[in-house]
Amino acid sequence: MSLDISFIGILIGSIMASSVPLILAASGELITERSGVLNLGVEGMMIIGAISGFALMVITDNLFIAVVGSMLSGVIISIIFGFLTQSLLTNHVATGLALTIFGIGLSAMLGKNFVGIPGKEFPILFSSLKESIPFFGPILFGHSIVLYFAFALPFLTNFFLKKTKLGLVVRAVGDSPVSASNQGINVILVRYCCILYGGAMCGLAGAYLSLIYTPQWIENMTAGRGWIALALVVFATWSPIKVLIGALIFGGITILQLHMQAIGFRIPVQFLSALPYLMTIIVLVVISRDSRKIKLNTPTSLGRIFYKEK
Amino acid sequence: MATDLRISNVSKIYPGCIANDNVSLQFKSGKIYALLGENGAGKSTLVKILSGVVSPDNGEVFLNEKNLKLSSPLDAKKNKIGMVFQHFNLFETLSVFENLSIDATEDNKSLRVRINEILKKYNFSIDLDVPVLNLSAGQKQKVEIIRCLLRSPKVLIMDEPTSVLTEQETEELFISLKKFCDEGILIIYITHKLKEVLSLCDEVAVMRKGKVVSVSQTQNERVETLANKMVGQKLAKIKKKINISKNKDEIFKVKHLNFYSDDPFETNLVNLNFSVKKGECLGIAGISGNGQNELFQILSGEIITPDTSIIFRNKEIAKLNPKQRREYLMAFSPEDRISQAAVPELKIYENVALNNFKSSNFFEKGLVNEKKIKEHSKKILSDFSVNTDNVELKSQFLSGGNLQKLILGRELITAPELLICYNPTWGLDVGAINYIHETLIKINNQEKSTILISTDTEELLKLSDRIAVIYKGKLSKIMPSEEVTPEKLGVLMGGGSID
Repeated sequence: MSLDISFIGILIGSIMASSVPLILAASGELITERSGVLNLGVEGMMIIGAISGFALMVITDNLFIAVVGSMLSGVIISIIFGFLTQSLLTNHVATGLALTIFGIGLSAMLGKNFVGIPGKEFPILFSSLKESIPFFGPILFGHSIVLYFAFALPFLTNFFLKKTKLGLVVRAVGDSPVSASNQGINVILVRYCCILYGGAMCGLAGAYLSLIYTPQWIENMTAGRGWIALALVVFATWSPIKVLIGALIFGGITILQLHMQAIGFRIPVQFLSALPYLMTIIVLVVISRDSRKIKLNTPTSLGRIFYKEK
Repeated sequence: MATDLRISNVSKIYPGCIANDNVSLQFKSGKIYALLGENGAGKSTLVKILSGVVSPDNGEVFLNEKNLKLSSPLDAKKNKIGMVFQHFNLFETLSVFENLSIDATEDNKSLRVRINEILKKYNFSIDLDVPVLNLSAGQKQKVEIIRCLLRSPKVLIMDEPTSVLTEQETEELFISLKKFCDEGILIIYITHKLKEVLSLCDEVAVMRKGKVVSVSQTQNERVETLANKMVGQKLAKIKKKINISKNKDEIFKVKHLNFYSDDPFETNLVNLNFSVKKGECLGIAGISGNGQNELFQILSGEIITPDTSIIFRNKEIAKLNPKQRREYLMAFSPEDRISQAAVPELKIYENVALNNFKSSNFFEKGLVNEKKIKEHSKKILSDFSVNTDNVELKSQFLSGGNLQKLILGRELITAPELLICYNPTWGLDVGAINYIHETLIKINNQEKSTILISTDTEELLKLSDRIAVIYKGKLSKIMPSEEVTPEKLGVLMGGGSID
């Protein structure tokens, strides 16, 4: 195999595509966690998004409805989490785990009739430019709209948290819900909104898998990506830009080690398969060493139940 | 325009406790009012009702004869009632400006202009763009006050505002409060410090067990009369005879104590050297957050620092953990009673067993000898006059004072040679404070030593034989307490220098 320049371009393009679900889910979860809510149901919400997106595509034959529907399904399932943790004050960790188990089970049941049905081709943008420009063509062009959105999302998230009033409110609620409540902020409402937003992004991440990345339905097709997204948020110390870097490293090494396996490197396959996890953690730990910044970015009230005095 | 705030027959009942029992009070602008009472007297509940955090079960609040429905903090804000809580309602990780802008209705530019006007008018100096966690307690309080002033309040309520301030900061606060009062803001000042009431306020209402027991002009009151009203009985006066112990042996000696941390919430300690003589009380003064936490943890062995030498009874103990230090007859009483000194979910006798793994025969072959522990615990409860004899009670149901007595009892029953305590009377009421102080004096009289790390200047002057001040992790020179005045301590605590 020749490592010419256009091959590297195609490789980078495929790395970007494989990181999209991680970026989407992690960016959504980041907002949820920044408001002080720890939702471990990412994997469950993603898989529900994947099956509902695919099912709606098969039933309506309309990709737009499928994508929007997958986001709505993420929202609906996260309402369950919001109601339990915010209104009934259940433990965040236990509820999140239950949500994941529920999501995986429900998706398998709903998806029984959709196994083996071929997907539909998702429209890609600027496909002519992709072919005509060497190297940069496959990197910048010829992707679905969801990919462009995913790569803009960390920057939008950063802007939202740092520059907007609403972002300030979210950070304040995550820092100290009691103070926020005493300032007249409706903590429960803010947290509900963040949970629902996180659900929508996880739903979209799932739909990207079943409609665009590998257009078909396979049981348990998220394959732990939700857990990776969760870990990314923590190791990126709640910084959206570092989430993007982490997702790209993870996606990159996943693709590269597949190529290395194909070429037949004399390294045990198990080690190569473990490499993405290892490298992502190492890199994120190294770039997030500043303990001062960690303190400033970490939502102090993360995972703690907020109870309003009456 | 004059402001008139009236509380009429307000009651609030919590399960097992009547926090406010038919409270009626009236306040008028142009005066500073004190609301005085011990912990648990119902002051805080009343304040929470006025600021809309909790709603009363009964009764009404009138502002200028308008009946206020205060069902949320937002209602209080809308009605121009400003509130500075004892525990600050600030967002530690956000900048000062972000903290102030969060509930502002104007754009950032004009808000900044208005904040700067307030800073200039009242002579506050605060950097608006640093995270709040970098500010001192006094500065944090100013941020809270600015937040209230931005809404041009009619009523300003201060809940125990001086508990975290230095003498100088307290004076500054009083000057500001008097200015606000002259500008027509009605000020309600909640405290359990009697001297502050006399020096600042015009009128004082005393609360006890949820009821208002007296309302009077402060000019007709003295410290003693107010104290008796507050406690409901006459209090004995305590004064320690200072130990002139120049020729006595040094029992405890610390050399080259250095501590460095990356954590922005921790303070570094720089080259601390001091010693304690037999039967002596060494006081360490300072505003909280100047390294007392770290110092206590190093002295107790929770943190081991390299190159430090700690000699106790002629042995080097710097590398020993707390359990081993206890075996050499040291004892510790940390500041945070509920999470550091005791496990709230455990029963009294279980907590008693916790620090006595070896010295007694509580444990046999890895099994717990409940009978012996319970007997031992009963002895502590009666010897240290804890207000219960039920050793099966969970520790979280003890009041602060009783829990502190239990902890001191647990530590002292092993007859230690040195007791290190950190803010032992923090948040306790006058009666319990008296008892703890008597106990600490008694230890010294029995030729045992104490190190008292405290943020309460009065307590230090009352109990210590020698006093040093810790400021930003550095220790001042150690002074005999007869040479020390509250003013001197205040200067040193604020980072100034004397002589």
